[in-house]
Amino acid sequence: MRCKKIRHFLPLLAGSELPESKVSTVESHLDRCPLCQEEYEKYVLLVQETRKWLAEDRMDWKEREWQEAVQNAVTGELPRRTSLVPWPFPKTWAFALMAGAMLLITILVVRPPFVEKIGLKPRYLDVAKMEAVEASEGKEQQEVISMTMVSKETGLKIVWFFNKNFDLEERK
Amino acid sequence: MRDEDKIIEDALQGNDSSYELLLRPYRQGFLNMAYRITGNREEAEEICQDALLKIFKYLSSFKRGRSFRTWAYRIVMNTSYDFLREKKKFEQVIETQKKTIVYENSDAEERMLKREIREKIQSILYILTLKEKAVFLLRDSEGLSVKEASMVLGCSQMSVRTHLSRARQKIKSHFEKIYPMKSREV
Repeated sequence: MRCKKIRHFLPLLAGSELPESKVSTVESHLDRCPLCQEEYEKYVLLVQETRKWLAEDRMDWKEREWQEAVQNAVTGELPRRTSLVPWPFPKTWAFALMAGAMLLITILVVRPPFVEKIGLKPRYLDVAKMEAVEASEGKEQQEVISMTMVSKETGLKIVWFFNKNFDLEERK
Repeated sequence: MRDEDKIIEDALQGNDSSYELLLRPYRQGFLNMAYRITGNREEAEEICQDALLKIFKYLSSFKRGRSFRTWAYRIVMNTSYDFLREKKKFEQVIETQKKTIVYENSDAEERMLKREIREKIQSILYILTLKEKAVFLLRDSEGLSVKEASMVLGCSQMSVRTHLSRARQKIKSHFEKIYPMKSREV
């Protein structure tokens, strides 16, 4: 066999995955060819090193988590899912952001006294109340209100008059 | 009847401790396999949880006399790839991996060594295709034989050998590029 073909088998020979039928052919070539022999030695070293790294960098379950995982599988509980949009920062940042957002919403909804001190505008309801107070403090108020109903079929017209307390005063 | 088959029968009878006994030898293997594929410990645990659920659910359909190990690894692999496909985060794997390195109870020197090793593994996994990665991990990380790896992946032994050979060639040239002067030291 030529070197080019033999070199396809070297990574497998180094990891003991080459079929028995080909081992002797490749080994006899290695005895004759120092370049392929050198290449083979590199692969042997590579396989040893990568296997060592993979073995050294192994992780294991914490016993409690493992027991929980098995128990969940037996009881048929679905695993907890992480969010679909990956969060690239530490989780504490997410909690801080949520807390900040909640605080802001609370300020806007509840509006504690210090908000007015820092100059935020009053809300619409407050504006309406202020206008009502101003109106009751001397400005002219509407005394009577009327409501008119007209029949489409007969053209009959009914007019109701109410006073400022919304008591019915007159009907025409 | 093999011991494993007996344990499976017990687990199917509703004996929870037998189920745990059946899975215990693979607890590290499943977690590491999922971790190497996703690059994230938390996600790896989720995948394993999902896989354990599937194993329990389909245990009754497992054919006795066959290898439980390859059957279970196949479920873990498929669950991992389904997870990745669902989240479409192939491109983020390496980035996430860099951020989730956790070292416990180790001093600075040991920590640096571990970091170096993990970075080397990450760089290897980054250059491999999915099939090459799967074959490489099953063989060199989990110690499965070529036959077992072919059963896990549902392909021929020839295909496993081809992908494994290609993976090692890629890894070799990758390290030769990084360390051109000392390629003999990997």
